[in-house]
Amino acid sequence: MNETVLRVENLGISYRMRNRWLPAVRDFQVRVRRGQIHGIVGESGSGKSTVVQGIIRYLAENGRTDPGSVIEFLGRDLANASRQELQKLWGAQVSIVPQHPMSALNPSIRVGEQVAEIVRLHAGLGRAAAREAVIRAFQRVNLADPETLLERYPHELSGGMQQRIVIAMALITSPQLLILDEPTTNLDVTTEAVILDLVRKLIREEQAAAIYVTHNLGVIAQLCDRVTVMYAGEIMEEGTVNDLFARPLHPYTFGLLNSIPRPGQTKRDRALITIPGRPPSLTELPQGCVYAPRCPLAIEICRQPPPLELPAERHLIRCHRWQEILRGEVSISAEAQAGVDDIAIADLQREHLLTVSGLTKHFPVRRSLFDLLRGTSPLPIRAVDNVNLSVQKGRTLGLVGESGSGKTTLSRMIIGLTERTGGEITFMGLDIRNHVRERSKDVLARLQMIFQNPQNSLNPYLTVGQSIRRPLMKLLGMSRQDADREVSRLLRAVNLQPDYAVRYPDELSGGEKQRVAIARAFASDPALIICDEPVSSLDVSVQAAVLNLLARLQEEQDTAYLFISHDLSVVSYLADYVAVMYLGEIFEVGYGRDLFEPPMHPYTEALVSALPVPDPRRRTRPIPLSDDIPSPRNLPTGCRFHTRCPHKIGRICEDEVPPWRDEGNGHFIRCHIPLDELQAKQQAYAQPAAETAWGLMGKEQG
Amino acid sequence: MAQAEQITETEASSRKSKPLNHSIAATTEFLRLLFGQLQSGLGAVIVLLFLLLAVLGPIIAPYAANDQSALPLLAPGAGHPFGTDALGRDVFSRVMLGTQSIFVTAGTGTLIAVVLGAAVGLFIGYQGGLLDEVISRAIDAFLALPALLIALVVLGVVKNLDFVAGSWQALLADSSVLLVIALVYVPIVARVIRSSTLEVKTREFVQAAQIRGESRVYIIFREILPSVVPALVVEASLRFSYAIFLVASLGFLGAGARPPSPDWGLMVNENRRIYQVAPWALAYPAAAIALLVVGVNLTSDGIKRIVQKRG
Amino acid sequence: MGRFLLRRLAFFVFTLIFTSLLVFVLTRVLPGDVARIILGREAGEDQVAALRVELGLDQPLVIQYLDWVGDFARGDWGKTFVSPRQDIREIVLQRAEKSGWLALVTLVMAVPISITLGVIAGLREGKFLDSLISLLSLSVVSLPEFVTGLFLINIVARNSDFFPASSSGIGPGTTFMEALPKLWLPAITATLVLIAYIARLTRAGVIEELKRDYVRTAVLKGLPYRVVVIKHVLRNALIPTITVIANSTGWLISGLVVIEFVYGYRGLGSLLIAAIENRNLPQIQAIVMVTVSVILVANFLADMLYSILNPRITLS
Ligand code: SF4
Ligand code: SF4
Repeated sequence: MNETVLRVENLGISYRMRNRWLPAVRDFQVRVRRGQIHGIVGESGSGKSTVVQGIIRYLAENGRTDPGSVIEFLGRDLANASRQELQKLWGAQVSIVPQHPMSALNPSIRVGEQVAEIVRLHAGLGRAAAREAVIRAFQRVNLADPETLLERYPHELSGGMQQRIVIAMALITSPQLLILDEPTTNLDVTTEAVILDLVRKLIREEQAAAIYVTHNLGVIAQLCDRVTVMYAGEIMEEGTVNDLFARPLHPYTFGLLNSIPRPGQTKRDRALITIPGRPPSLTELPQGCVYAPRCPLAIEICRQPPPLELPAERHLIRCHRWQEILRGEVSISAEAQAGVDDIAIADLQREHLLTVSGLTKHFPVRRSLFDLLRGTSPLPIRAVDNVNLSVQKGRTLGLVGESGSGKTTLSRMIIGLTERTGGEITFMGLDIRNHVRERSKDVLARLQMIFQNPQNSLNPYLTVGQSIRRPLMKLLGMSRQDADREVSRLLRAVNLQPDYAVRYPDELSGGEKQRVAIARAFASDPALIICDEPVSSLDVSVQAAVLNLLARLQEEQDTAYLFISHDLSVVSYLADYVAVMYLGEIFEVGYGRDLFEPPMHPYTEALVSALPVPDPRRRTRPIPLSDDIPSPRNLPTGCRFHTRCPHKIGRICEDEVPPWRDEGNGHFIRCHIPLDELQAKQQAYAQPAAETAWGLMGKEQG
Repeated sequence: MAQAEQITETEASSRKSKPLNHSIAATTEFLRLLFGQLQSGLGAVIVLLFLLLAVLGPIIAPYAANDQSALPLLAPGAGHPFGTDALGRDVFSRVMLGTQSIFVTAGTGTLIAVVLGAAVGLFIGYQGGLLDEVISRAIDAFLALPALLIALVVLGVVKNLDFVAGSWQALLADSSVLLVIALVYVPIVARVIRSSTLEVKTREFVQAAQIRGESRVYIIFREILPSVVPALVVEASLRFSYAIFLVASLGFLGAGARPPSPDWGLMVNENRRIYQVAPWALAYPAAAIALLVVGVNLTSDGIKRIVQKRG
Repeated sequence: MGRFLLRRLAFFVFTLIFTSLLVFVLTRVLPGDVARIILGREAGEDQVAALRVELGLDQPLVIQYLDWVGDFARGDWGKTFVSPRQDIREIVLQRAEKSGWLALVTLVMAVPISITLGVIAGLREGKFLDSLISLLSLSVVSLPEFVTGLFLINIVARNSDFFPASSSGIGPGTTFMEALPKLWLPAITATLVLIAYIARLTRAGVIEELKRDYVRTAVLKGLPYRVVVIKHVLRNALIPTITVIANSTGWLISGLVVIEFVYGYRGLGSLLIAAIENRNLPQIQAIVMVTVSVILVANFLADMLYSILNPRITLS
C-alpha cells in the first residue's frame, strides 16, 4: 500500500559556468510514497526548483546530476536513464504541473489538441478516443463545457482555467509521480484555494506520489504530508508537517516560520523574527554550515559542515546543535516587544490627514467599428468607482484586494500619477490637484510613495546617495553638504551603513534596495506614504525585516501609511484600519485586528477562509468561489459580488446596490444581509485568534 | 527596537564605488567582453585599423588623389602597391584617402542621425499621447520607403540645383550625402529609442521622479537616458554599418561623391569597365568596402550580444 | 481579426498619402524651378514657360498636389520630355514587370533556402553549424550588391557558358522564358543578400521560441524531439517570418536598383537611375509611387496571412 514511488539518495546537481562545475544542490535525499504529497520549501536561490528538475532529469544544457546520485523511480534507475527511456516516462508516469500556465501552453495550438497529443502518444489512443479522454479529464478538474473548451486557444481562457487545463494535462495519463512547481504562485488567493483543493482531491484519488515545490509555508501546511526545508542547495530539515511546524529543530526553519505574520497577528503584538543577511551565492558558499553567516546560534563548530542526521524516525536535520535545541538548552530569542506600543481602539482615532470622497476612475474604451456604425460608444472600464476613505495622522490604512480590484489605480490617483475622472482628494486640509505636475512642492514633499518592485524602484545608473539626496535638495531645498549629512542619517535609520551612499543598486540585495527606497520616501519628511505592495516581491525572511522597519519608522516619524497589498496577513499585521476592495468598490472597512473576526462581508469571509494558514493543525476550509471573475468592462448590477457570492439572498442582490451597515466601533459592511444574520452565518468559518504551538514557542523562548 | 532588525546587511565586499570608477569599470568590462570573443574582437580590430588609416591616410598616401603622373594601368608593384588606374592615378593612395572620406561621411551622418533620432525618440516616447501617435505613424510610413530610394531621389534633385558658391545652400549641397544619411536614419533611430523609452518609462524609478515633481527635461535626460544608452550604442553601430553600405552604393551609382574624388564606391564604378586589363583598380576599393562593413557588422553583433546578455 | 486588418488598411492608406506628399515635396517643392531643372540650363525661356503651364506650376501648391494625385490615380502619369515623347505610365509598368520577374526568381530561390538555413542555425545555436551559417550570412550581408555582382560577373560568368554576364537585350517584347537565362546571375546576387537577411531573423525567431516554457511542457510530455520542433516550435517561430519576408521587399527593391545597374538589366531600378540622370521628375514620381505601392501591398498581404495563421490576433 504505502509503496515507495521515488527514492532519491545523495543527489547532487551542478551547473557548468566559466569552465567550473558549480554545485547547485548538494547531498539531497527524499523518499515519496504513494498517495503522499511531499513539499519542498525554500526561498529564491535555495535550489528547490533545481532539485525537481534534477529528479526528472530535465536540466538545462549546462547542468548535470553528479556522479553517485541515486534516483530510483518504482525500482528503476533514473539517474542513468537514457533520453529514450526518459521520454517514455515523461508525460506518462511522471508529470509536471508548471508554474506559469499561460506560458506553459503553446499559444498557437488549441488546448484540446495539446492535451490529446499526450494520450495519443502514451496510451496509443485514436483521435476519437483521445477526445473522449480529454473531455473526461476536463470534467475531472471541474471545467465547465469541456466540448467547446477543446477548440479554444490558451489566450482565450482565464488564469484559473489555464491552470486547470495544465493540471488535467498532467493527470490524464494517471502518472505515478506528479511534480507541482509553484502552480498557484501567480493566482489570486481565492483562485489558489480552489485549485489547491482540487489538487489535494485528485492526488488522493489517483494515489500518486506528489512533490509540491513552493515558497509559501501556508500552502505546505495545508496541503502536504511531509516537507523538506531547503537553503542554499542543501536540506536543512525534513519531517512531517505536523512535527516540523510544531517543533522546528533547525534555526532556519524556526526563522522562516516566525518571520511570517500569522493571521490575526499585528505589529502591536510583537515584532516579526527576521533573518539577517542574504543567502550565499553559489560561487562563494561558506566553508562550514551554509547557514552559519545568518544563524543566530552559530558557534565555533559551525565552521565544520554539519552532517545530515536522523534525530527521530523519518526526521532529518542538518545542524550541529539540534540536540541542544531539542532539549531547549539554546533558543532563538523572538523579540516579544514590538517597538510599537499597544493602544486601545478608542485611542487609535486621530485627525484626518487624507480624505478621499467619491473618487472615480473610468478608463475610456476605444470605439470599435461596430460602435461607430451604430453610433454608440462602449462603456468605459470602471476601475475605481465612487470610493470614500480616509487616513489618519500617523496611522496605517490597509487596502486589500485581488487583482482587478482597482487598488493600484486608487493609489495612483491619490499620488497623482493617474488622473481621476471624478471625486475629491483632501490632503492636510488642502484640496489637492489632479496631477503631480500641478501640485505644490509642499504637497509633493508631504505625500510620498514606496513601490512594489525594488529591482525597478531605484535608477540603476545613480548611486544610492544620489537617489536619496535628490528629494532632499529638490523638495526641501537643502544644500549639497546638508543633504549628504542627511543621507547618512537616513541610511542609518533604515539599518544600512552610511557607506552605502556610494554604491550602485546592482551591488545591493533586494531587501537592501527596498530599504533604500524607503529611505528615499522618508527623505522629504512626508506625512503620508503610499506603500504599493512593498514586500510582495521579497522573500519571507527579508519581508519580515522590511515590515518591522516600516512599523518602527512609523512610530518614530509619526508618518501615516496607505498600505496596499493582496496579502491579507501582511495587511492585517501592519494596518490599524483595513478596507477591502472588490471590482473598484470598497465593501468593508474596519480595524485591522477585527479583520479575522466575524461578522464580515461575504467577500472578506471568502478571502479569509482562502488564506492558507501556516499551521497544519488548523486546516482551512476555503469557501469555494467561482474563479470566473467579472470583467471590469461589464460589471454586475446591484452588488458587484453577486455573481460569486455564496450567501446571495436573491433578486435584491442583483438589482440593488447594497447599503453600508454600521457595526459600531468604526466597522462598516456593505451588504444586503443584516449584521446579526451575517454573524450567524459565519460562525463556522471563524478563525480563532488563539496562539498556535509554534507561535507560543516563539513567546516562551523569547 | 527589535534585536534582529539591528543587524545590518553588510556585504562581504564593501568596495567603495564612485560614479567615475563605476563607469571606468563598466567600460573596461565591456571592452574585455568585446575583445574576448573571436568574432567581435576581430571586427573591432578591423574597424580600429581603418580608423587609424582614416586619420593617417593623408600621411601614408604617397600620391595626391588626383595625381596622374604615373603611367596608366600599371600592375601592382614597387612604387604602386595597388597599381594604377586608367588615368595613371595611384590606387593605393586613393584607397587610403577614401578611408577618410567614408568615415567622415558615414560617421558624421550616423552621428547626426543618432543624436537627433534619440532626442525625438526620447521625447515622443516619454510624452506619449497624440503627438507621439502622429509622429510614430509618420515614422512608420517613412520607413516603408527603402532608404536607398529616398537617398537617390533627394540627391538626384539636389544635384541639379544651382547655388551661389559659398552660400549656405551651396554648403549644404556639398555635404548632401552626409545629410541624406542623417535624414534616412533619424526615423529608424527614433523608433528604436522610442520603444526603449516606453519600456524604461514604466519603471518605478521614473515614477518616483515624477512624484518628486521633476521636470520633463530632468526625467528624460537624467532618469531615462542612461538606461537607453545601451540600446542606443547597439543601434548606432548598426546604423554606421548601413551608412557605409549606403555611401558606397550611392557612390557606385553615381549619385554620391562626384569624380574625381577618391570615393570607394565611385572608384569601383569607374574601374569596372577595365576589369579585364586592370583587375586591381576594381578589386582593392571593393575589398576595402567589404572588409570595413564586415568589421563593423562583427563589432555591432558583438555589442548587441553583450548588451542583451546584461539584460 | 477584422479589426486588426482594418487597422492595417488604415495604415496602408495613410502611408500612401504620406509618401505621395513626401514625393511631391521632394520633386516639386524642394527643387524650386522644376521646369528649368527638367529642361536643363540650355533651354530657352519660352520652352521653360510652356512646360510650367503643362505641369501646372503656375497654380498654388495645394492645387498642384491635388491635380497630380488625381491624375496619378486616374492613370495619367504624364509624358517624357525628350522627343519622342512617350507615355510614362507605359514605360514604368513595362519596366516594373521586368523587375517583377527578377524579384520573383529571387524570392523563389531565397525563401526556402534562407528559412532552412535559419532554422538549422537556430536549432543548433552555439554549435559549429550555427557559427558557420551565422558567419557566412553576416559576411554576405556585409557585401554591397555591386561587389557581389561584379564578383559574379567577372569570376563566374567569364568562366562559364551557362550564365551570361550581361542582362542587356531584354526589351519590351521579351517573354519571361526568353529572359530567364539572363535572370540567373542578377537573381543570385539578390538572393545572397536576402538569404542572409531572412536567415538571420529566422534563426533569432527559432532561438527565442526554443526558450519558451511551452517547449519545456512539450518535452516533458515525452514527445520526441522531432515532434517538439516541428509541431510546437516551428509553428510559432515561422509565423513572424511571414512579416520578415514582407519587410524584405523594401530591402529587395533597393538591392535591385543596384543590381540592375550592375548587370545593365532594364528594369524599374535602372529606369530610376536614368530618370534621375535625365532630370525626368514626373517619371521619378511615378517610379517611387509604384514602388511604395508594391511594398505596401506586400506588407498588407503578409498581415492578412499572419492574422489567419496566428490565433492570437483574433482577440487583440
Ligand atoms: S550548524 Fe551552527 S550555524 Fe548551522 S544552523 Fe546549526 S547552529 Fe546554526
Ligand atoms: S449584497 Fe448579496 S450578493 Fe452582495 S455580498 Fe451581500 S449577500 Fe452577497
